[in-house]
Formats: sequence, structure tokens, C-alpha cells
Amino acid sequence: MAADLRRGRLTPLGWAGLLIGAAIMLAPLIWTLLLSLKNNGELVGHSEAALHGPYTLQNYAAIFGNSLTLRWLLNSTIVALGQTAGVLILASLAGYGFARLDFPFRRTLYIFVLVGLAVPSQAVILVQHQLFAWLRLHNSYPGLILPGLIAPFGVFFMTTYMRGIPRELDEAAMLDGASRWTIFWKIIMPLTVPAQSTLAVFTFLGAWNDYWWPLISATRSDMYTLTVGLAAAQMNYAQTSGLGYLMAQAVFASIPIFIIYIIFQKQIVRAMAGTAVR
Amino acid sequence: MKRTAAILLAILLGSCAKSDGKTHIYLQRFFGECGAEYGGSTDIAKAEGECGIITTMINRFNAENPDIQLDVNVVAWPGYPQLTAQVAARDPPDLVTMHEGVISDYAAKGLVEPVDGYLRAAGVSPDGFTEAAKQGVTMYGHIYALPWDTHGGLFHVNTALFAKAGLMRGGKPVLPNTADELISQARQFEQRTGKPYLIQSNVGDPAFAARNLYTYMIAKGAVLFPDAHHIRLNTPVGVEVAAFFRRINAEKLGSQNMDTPGAIAAFVSGEGGIYPTGTWMIGSFEQEATTPGRPLYKNYAVYPYPHLWGEHVEFVSGHSWVVPTRKRTPQQRDAIARFFKFMAAHNYDWVRTGHIPAFKAVLDDPRFKALPHRADIAPLATIGRPLPSNVQRQNAIEGIVGEEAAAAFTGQKSIPQALAQAERRVNDLLSQID
Repeated sequence: MAADLRRGRLTPLGWAGLLIGAAIMLAPLIWTLLLSLKNNGELVGHSEAALHGPYTLQNYAAIFGNSLTLRWLLNSTIVALGQTAGVLILASLAGYGFARLDFPFRRTLYIFVLVGLAVPSQAVILVQHQLFAWLRLHNSYPGLILPGLIAPFGVFFMTTYMRGIPRELDEAAMLDGASRWTIFWKIIMPLTVPAQSTLAVFTFLGAWNDYWWPLISATRSDMYTLTVGLAAAQMNYAQTSGLGYLMAQAVFASIPIFIIYIIFQKQIVRAMAGTAVR
Repeated sequence: MKRTAAILLAILLGSCAKSDGKTHIYLQRFFGECGAEYGGSTDIAKAEGECGIITTMINRFNAENPDIQLDVNVVAWPGYPQLTAQVAARDPPDLVTMHEGVISDYAAKGLVEPVDGYLRAAGVSPDGFTEAAKQGVTMYGHIYALPWDTHGGLFHVNTALFAKAGLMRGGKPVLPNTADELISQARQFEQRTGKPYLIQSNVGDPAFAARNLYTYMIAKGAVLFPDAHHIRLNTPVGVEVAAFFRRINAEKLGSQNMDTPGAIAAFVSGEGGIYPTGTWMIGSFEQEATTPGRPLYKNYAVYPYPHLWGEHVEFVSGHSWVVPTRKRTPQQRDAIARFFKFMAAHNYDWVRTGHIPAFKAVLDDPRFKALPHRADIAPLATIGRPLPSNVQRQNAIEGIVGEEAAAAFTGQKSIPQALAQAERRVNDLLSQID
């Protein structure tokens, strides 16, 4: 099969394998979608009712009936985009510094950044919360975005990627009189687009799905992100007496991510493949 | 671009302080969000379910008190991580829903106010609370919350299967009066119906096992907490109670390997005789019992846990309203007192959810007695026993005890081993409290 793949062809057995794999991957998603289209009462004790009609959009209507749902959607979008933009800017600048510049304590600082990879966010959540309380940043967009900008993985990722770009390019540009900033902006950055795309996808997904920090920082319902807001909207025992609504929430929360995948599918696949090869 | 600017401006303005001349009270609650259905409703009698009723009651309070505005914050259940974060950030709400077992965590540190003064101002006398409710909110010599209901375990019964098993007398299910009677009835049930007598959610539901262990140890007179920093489970009484539930599992008289959704699904599908779960499921099961064609249709009854030995008592908890400590104006304090008065006056409306009233007067209210099954479950208000109010971390303790008790009941651990480990883990936890 590997040889066939290299030749760009698949045997019937290969096709069958792929189809089975795709079915296994799709089954829980389709099941979620079907459950979301059923009346909650019908699903109490009979989740197999999702396999046949009648179907209804009442669970989705209930989501939109909550006047704050669109606000939560907007909050999530602002926070996810803000964190993604911030991480890309900071990680690119730091990565370039660590990969290309000589400055005192460079190795020590880099190790310090790498140590950050080993520190779980939960370990610093108390002091982080206290700091943001002292700065009066809870229940604000900066309060939700700033912690996400601490991205040691992003710095590590961009440093590694930039180290793989030949130094001769920098040297040639310097001979032509380019400044450090020009080299960074016009030579290096365009070459890092695949890495930037990968990092952007990971950062956006992480920010979009984050629950713990928004839960304790955004304590006013108008500042909830979508994950926190949808969880708050659930009634007790939602998994039994409100299963359809619960699944509709899951589908609704994943729609923006799904749309992003559809729009940027080529770039994402290219970025992943490019990064993997490199 | 203009539209984006307008949205951003609206958000900015929305974040500004309100200046409408009203006294604003920041109320935080769980029970979910149902603004789509009840956002504008003020007719409490027409509301259904916890979320619908609480939403409508708050709307009604706002309508009846035009000088007060309750700003509602709905939190993900149970909301304590958020509340703790708000307290740490010195921005707690004015009113918060809280389980009675959690109050001591906050009261011990002065993070919630005693509400004796609010109750006096509201004309609500603690003498009117049921015994279970009063015990649940009284600590350190003060009342720390307005009790809102009592909830605990109930035996939800499939009467059709009970009839098939020959366990109905005079149209009512025959429940056991001793442990041996329960075992013999369970065997008879299993033989005649081919189904388990008990439906159990021993997987991922520590509250289930903890409720059973607590209830039947208290019934035998066990002192679960000899002081605020120790639990005592690995005793002859603890071993005896655990051995009883182990026997049920060993003889396959109860369902095996079920989590809560699985157990609920099994009960409404007619796959077992009794599901011991809480007051909060009455509404859902009653709906099944009034829907033609469903296995529970006209075949549902519900009672407190049966008396098996010792005293007929049962472990219970309850929902309540607490007032976190913070600076408040006299107007805000007055608004909180008026809220308490309103909620006390509407306790009947709340207990339509299935919970037991927190007020004696509602227990005696003909409207309450006329609700389905309420006459049968009302004794819970008098036989209910909350855990001692001076013991903190009861939520976490219930998780530990339930996990170890389930391991003992199902045979994953030996009974003495599980009870000893539960004791050690709980005592470690309590030893960390100053």
C-alpha cells in the first residue's frame, strides 16, 4: 500500500481501509449531529431514537434564543484571534532572536523558555489569577488574551524552524545593505509562512477551546467565551434530560472551527506536510 | 467597518456602570440558562423545571420591585470555582446559590455573611424552617443562608415490574423493613421478572455510593465525623453497611457497571425495579409516567429510602441562598432582605421541581400535598440528616468516600481496605485545613 501511495494509486484494499477509517472517524460526529436534531424528551432512555425521525431544530433555536450566545461567539472570536495574532508576532520575533542574533545569556534565556514547556498552566493559575486581579484585568479582553501570549512552544517552534533557513540568505541581504528588520520582515518571514500557519492553527484551536482560564477570569456572563457560556447554559443532568441540547451546543461550538478548516484546508494541509517533511 | 465600530461601541457602552436609579443586586446561580423559553415570563405557575421556575421567579421579583434590578449571572454547575475566583479577585456577587454542604467552606473564613439580620428584616423566622433545612444552614451559632429546599435520595419504583414480582399491596409497592427483607424481596423480584431489583450507578457517580453508605451508617447511629478534622468509616457499622451492598452486587440483585445516564436510561426503559437516586429526577420520571406507551406509563411511585435497621433517617443536603461578604449600601442590604422575603413566600413554586420544601408551612400546604407523589416523599423533611455543618470540604469528601465505597460495594477492593483508604484520604484532606 505504501508503494501504491508513492505511485499515487490505491488498491481496492487500500480504498477499503481508507473508507473504514473514515467511517470510524465520522461515526461519532454524525451521531452527535443526529442527537442534536432530536427532542430531548425522546432521548431520555432511548438515544437510539436519533437514528430515525422526526427531527427538529428546537435545540438550535434554544441556543439562539439565549440573548448572550452571539456575544459569547464574539468574545471567543476576539480572544482567539487576539491570542493567535499575539503569539505569531511574539513567537516570530523571539524565534528570530534566538535563531539568528548573538546577545548575552542567549542560551540561558532559551533554556529558560524551554523550561516553560514543562510547567503546566494549572501550576501557576493561582498567582496568575492574583496578578490579574491586582491589575484589575478580570472580566476584560486583555485579561482573557494576555495569558495565552505566554507561548514557549511557539517560541521553540519558530526558533527551530528559523534555524533551518540557510544563514547565507541573511548574509546576502546584508551585503546588499539590508537592515536586521528588513531581513526579518522581507526575507525570513515569507519563508516561515508554513510554520506560521501551523502555529496559527494550533494557537487558534487552543484559545477557542480553552475553558479553565476563561471560567475563572470571565466571571460576568457578558464576558464569557463560548465554551464557558455554553457550559453555564446547561441544566443539571444535561447528559440525560437535555442530551439533544447538549449535542446541539457541541455542534454549534465546533462550526466556526469547521468553517476555518474548510476555508484554509489547502494551507493547513500544506503547512502540516511541510512542517513534517522539514 | 461602520458596523464593526458600532458593535465595538455597543460592547464598550455595555461594560459601563449602569445609572438607571435602581439598586442593582448581582445574583449568581446555577440551574442552567433557559432565556429562550422563559426570558420574558413572569407567570411562575406556568413555569416548569428548575431553570424555568427560577428564571421566572427572578423575572417576577424584578417586575414587582421596580426600584431593584437583579443582574443575573448563570454559572456552569456547580459554580464554586468561579465564586472562589471572584472572592479572590474581591468581586463576589451579592447573592449566590449554594449547596448547604458547601457553606461551611466559605463561612469558616468569613467569606459569606451570617444572614440573621436579613431574615429579621424580611420577617422570615428560622423557626419556620424544616429541621433538615435549619440544620443545613446553621453553623457557628448563626444562620448563614436562606434554605431553599432539601434534596436527598429516593427509591424511584417501577410499579409494573413490582406487580409482576408480586410485590404490590393495595396498589402500593411493598418496600422492605429490614436488610434481610430487602435481599429476599430482591431475589423474588429477580426470579419473577428476570431483571435486577436495584438499578445502580456505581460508575462515575460517587454521590450514589456515598449517599447509600452515609444514610445507612447514620441509621445505625454511627458518628461519621467525631470532630471537624476526622471521618470514621472503617468501623464495625461501616463494614456491615458496605457488606450489605457488596452482597447485593455479589448476588447480581443490582445492575452492574452503569453510570448515571446509563442507570436513568435503564430505569425509564423498564430494565429494573428501583432506581435509588435524588429528588431532582421526579419531574423527568413523572413525565415518563404520564406519557402513553412508555414503560413507566402509570407505573411510577417514589418513596424515601426504606428503613432497614436502626433509626429511620436519611442523609440529605439542600440548595440555599448565601450572601458573600463585601461592602454594600443600605439600599442593597434592603434589596437582599426583600429578595429573601420574596423567595421564602414562593418556596412552594420552587418545590414543584421535585425538591422538598425548606419551610414547614409549605410541607403542610394543600397545594404541595396535591402534587404527584409529594405526600409520599414529604417525610424526607423530618428524617433528613445533613452532615455536620462544622466539617468543611464536604463536596470533595463525598467524592472520595463515594469512590472508595463504590470500590467496596462492587468488589474492586476489600471492604476494610476501601474504608481504610477512604478514611486516610479524607483525614489527609481535612488535616490541611487550618
